[in-house]
Amino acid sequence: MLPEPKLSNLQHLVRSLSRDELIWLNGYLTGLSGHAPSLPETVNTRALTNAAVPATEATRSEPITPDSHMPLVATRRMSIVYGTETGNSKKLAGQLAGLAKQHQVVTKLVSLEQYKTSELTREENFFVIISTQGDGEPPKAAKKFYDYVHNGVGNLGKMNFSVLALGDRAYPLFCKAGEDVFERLQSAGAKPVIPLTRCDAQYTDTAQAWFQQVMAFVATTGSAEAAASEPAAAAVPSNVPSTAPAKTEKKYYQGTVAEHINLNDKGSQKQTFHIELACEEQPDYQPGDAVGIVPENDLWEVEKVLTFAKIPRSRTFRFREIAREAEELFTKSVNIMHLPLRIVQAYARMTGQRIPDTRMNLADLLRIYPLPSDTAFEDVLAILEPISPRLYSVSSAPSAHPGEIHLTVAHHRFQVNGENKFGLCAHYLAQLRKGQRVNFYVHRNQRFRLPESGRDMIMIGPGTGIAPFRAFLAERNALGATGRSWLFFGEQHFVSDFLYQTEIQDFVQTGALHKVSLAWSRDTDERVYVQHRIRENGAALWEWLQSGASVYVCGSKDPMSIDVEQSLLDVIVTHGAKTETEAREWLNELETTDRYVKDVY
Amino acid sequence: MIQRSPSERIKTESRGLRGTLAEGLADALTGSLSEDDQILLKHHGMYQQDDRDRREERAEKKLERLYSFMIRLRIPGGYMSPGQWLAAHHCAGKHATGIIKITTRQTIQLHGLLKSDIKPTIRSFDAVKLDSIAACGDVNRNVVCSAHPSVSPLHEQVFAYAVKISEMALPRSRAYYEIWLDQEKIASTDETDPLYGDTYLPRKFKIAIAIPPDNDVDVLSNDIGLIAVIEDGELAGFNIAVGGGLSTTHGNAATYARLGSVIGFVSGEERVLKTVYEILTIQRDFGNRSDRKQARLKYTVDKMGLEAFRIELFKRSGFMLEEARPWSFGQRADHYGWEQNQSGRWFYTAFVENGRICDDDNQQLKSGLYAIAETGLAAFRFTCNQNVIIADIKAGHRAIIEELLERYGIAQYTRRVSPVRGNAMACVALPTCPLALAEAQRYMPAFINRVEQVLANHGLQDEAIVIRMTGCPNGCARPYLAEIGLIGSGEGRYNLHLGGDRLGLRLNRKFRENLDESEILSLLDTLFARYTRENTAETFGDYCDRAFNTLP
Repeated sequence: MLPEPKLSNLQHLVRSLSRDELIWLNGYLTGLSGHAPSLPETVNTRALTNAAVPATEATRSEPITPDSHMPLVATRRMSIVYGTETGNSKKLAGQLAGLAKQHQVVTKLVSLEQYKTSELTREENFFVIISTQGDGEPPKAAKKFYDYVHNGVGNLGKMNFSVLALGDRAYPLFCKAGEDVFERLQSAGAKPVIPLTRCDAQYTDTAQAWFQQVMAFVATTGSAEAAASEPAAAAVPSNVPSTAPAKTEKKYYQGTVAEHINLNDKGSQKQTFHIELACEEQPDYQPGDAVGIVPENDLWEVEKVLTFAKIPRSRTFRFREIAREAEELFTKSVNIMHLPLRIVQAYARMTGQRIPDTRMNLADLLRIYPLPSDTAFEDVLAILEPISPRLYSVSSAPSAHPGEIHLTVAHHRFQVNGENKFGLCAHYLAQLRKGQRVNFYVHRNQRFRLPESGRDMIMIGPGTGIAPFRAFLAERNALGATGRSWLFFGEQHFVSDFLYQTEIQDFVQTGALHKVSLAWSRDTDERVYVQHRIRENGAALWEWLQSGASVYVCGSKDPMSIDVEQSLLDVIVTHGAKTETEAREWLNELETTDRYVKDVY
Repeated sequence: MIQRSPSERIKTESRGLRGTLAEGLADALTGSLSEDDQILLKHHGMYQQDDRDRREERAEKKLERLYSFMIRLRIPGGYMSPGQWLAAHHCAGKHATGIIKITTRQTIQLHGLLKSDIKPTIRSFDAVKLDSIAACGDVNRNVVCSAHPSVSPLHEQVFAYAVKISEMALPRSRAYYEIWLDQEKIASTDETDPLYGDTYLPRKFKIAIAIPPDNDVDVLSNDIGLIAVIEDGELAGFNIAVGGGLSTTHGNAATYARLGSVIGFVSGEERVLKTVYEILTIQRDFGNRSDRKQARLKYTVDKMGLEAFRIELFKRSGFMLEEARPWSFGQRADHYGWEQNQSGRWFYTAFVENGRICDDDNQQLKSGLYAIAETGLAAFRFTCNQNVIIADIKAGHRAIIEELLERYGIAQYTRRVSPVRGNAMACVALPTCPLALAEAQRYMPAFINRVEQVLANHGLQDEAIVIRMTGCPNGCARPYLAEIGLIGSGEGRYNLHLGGDRLGLRLNRKFRENLDESEILSLLDTLFARYTRENTAETFGDYCDRAFNTLP
């Protein structure tokens, strides 16, 4: 019935359709046949003739081919997936889903943690909102998805997608996780219909703009050009707030050091500082949250950089948009310690020197491999990175310590070539004196939250892992929670290393803490750690778990959290009469329902 | 009815000195025990203490006080085998501060044990048949006995009395074995204690045996003093003195130091033991149980009167004490250096400053004693002057021990110690003793340095003047029996007592109150000047006593 080229066009179209699309098309055509033979208003005709996405930074190598786009008319669908650590991605995903609903788009909103990767090849409109943690890491909740796409996902030829990458420009690899996901999806054949969009800590406006592009694409024809050319106001109904509440964004607070105490006593191998910051403005945080702190470089190290680079301390440079005098710049802004390989290598290339692949301080780099006279220091500055903030679990609680933020900071010493070295931020914090000011922001730890007042909690936090649990207990103590609390703590020596001992005794006295299990690794001939105490208390622990207790683990990731997890599995096997596989599943279920939560580093 | 002191309730309710010690021991949250259990703990030979120097700093670090425990052994007569010494040496290093402290009651104590160290320590001691039962508390404490065997062929015989009295006056409770040694509770055991009942004694109780001419035990400072009477080379029996005791309380005029009163003579082992036993029961039944500051036997004796006391004793024992036999003492100080007894064994008395056995700049005492113990060729005996006797050395082995004493600098130090230092004593005091008002043993060596200088200025450097210092008026180092007694009254301040005799037969008197070091030294300077000017044959103590009212 159809003449060429209509027939071949139709055949070409049908061949490219999935089963669902064919069913939809069937209904669509049936609908059309009963009405005037014109295209529905919602179809943007320009999209049919102009399907290519404009070349952008992210997509310039791969223009989109026309046959991958479906006209969306009656039922439009999209998937919004998010990988969240602090809750920002989740919140944004929720906002986008709300917009989608207003546009009558059928939306699947799902956390990457819950996302079934087997569905990926069937996705057509796939929008990812994902944050980046620390040194380019994806959020814990997105780890499974992230690993999956990295290991090859098959052909995603049907997929239109975009990624909104959240990050914090204070970190060198600030949107790395989002970039990686974008790159992987694209190389698996998915079509980036909107360029990768990176958000800094102040993300609201950028995110809103991305929403509008997404909605313009999904709600109309799927053309990014259409999306880009639609005025924002037309795509986004005016009743949707264009900016999220300010408190969701990275906000810096200033605190004054009010207490600075080494909690370890004489004879200890450890130094753990309890630091109280008095804040004029009550920081908006909850027990379980962390704060990010940008450390300052050691003045002696700065002095060496200035000397070897032959820079007068008052000379002004621009670094990442901000002009500062050299001394202040190197003290407060530029990372000069333990430079990553990428910077050492860039320096080698730039200065034409052979430098071994080894991390070193900028001062050493400049001293051993001096800057050639024809290279401007500005060029070096261009390859350098800002000092990254470090995260510390807050050990205070808003209801118990109003107007204050308490930190519990281990001043680890480690040996490099026989020299004593300290972690940059820990050292900075350890050197603070009363009265000094510290800037910080609150880093939300959305999963690491107190259970409801009546529920039991088991806290496993050796060493500085005790920090959030001091906050938990203080909060529960202040609010008079009724659930039971059980603390596992461990360190080297009872006498010198029992962090917050008198406070813990008080919590026991006031009834905020019901059980304390302690492990001192160096007090006896054999080393005893928290995992040993967990096994010893297996029966009681299992009883607590049965009655709905949540389990929190905080402290070192390796080996502590691994050993602790194994001991928990052992308890479940022994006292829950389960096989190892069943125990693992049982614990996974606990984790999925946020009753087994880790904050490990 | 008069209110009984809280300690009485705690003892009565303790189920045989058990209290909640086992539960307290298992409480990992704290290094301390409950207040009630601390009272009971003393009866097991231990005191809970804390490092008072560190209180403030630890509080700021959110750490509780630095609690530790002192454990004092029960060593009647102060005798230890080489194997026991090795065990004590290892225990001190592993569980305590490393320092072994010889006490003024002829035993040793270890300081700085954490709560978790107590059981392993007691286990190690138990393995070599040592215990700490009743070394403190409201019971009979360690029975002391003249330490220098050279003075009498009967030393062995008299020493056996110390052991027998100690065993006789042990509490019957098996709590010690259950709590510290994890021994099974024996349901059938009858723990009814005919001597102690469930209230024990009203207060601590001390027994000493002196073998004249030595009064190294300060026999008259004890609740019961037994003075051996030797006639024709045989042990005839003992003169019995009751009601000695030195402790006083600042500002409490009803408290006083008292020398024992000799109430008669008794002979024959059965009667000697019976006499001691019934004096204990009199104190048990008549002692003051409402005011612990009036609870020692000395107050019971004075309240009853000596005659009434003798009659009560007769009623209980069924026999009369005989008239006291003549007795006298010739020496209180230890016999430093080598001595040989009647059977040819050699003994070496080494000077131990304030009883602290450790290695320091003066001598490698701890290492040396360890090396000697390892040879197995000598035993150890402690003296009430806080020194150590390396004992029972066969003539053929003397050279080996002598070489070790020289190698570790022990003999050299004992030789060069000045007479005044060799006769000085101080109690533990700060930082661990909870009663201390002022420094004692950690300050005493430096104080003696200064006194030596002042003595030398007056040509008195060879005078063996007895100087004793305590951090409080409780009298552990027996300062009331010194020629110069310094009794802590506050930080860096002492009451100065003068006029005790050299043999321990006369109490001194308070001469000045609340002096600091420079005041003490300048006063001593004046007194030494006077004493020299008088050019008297009297000892310094006798001179001060005679001239007490004319002293500046």
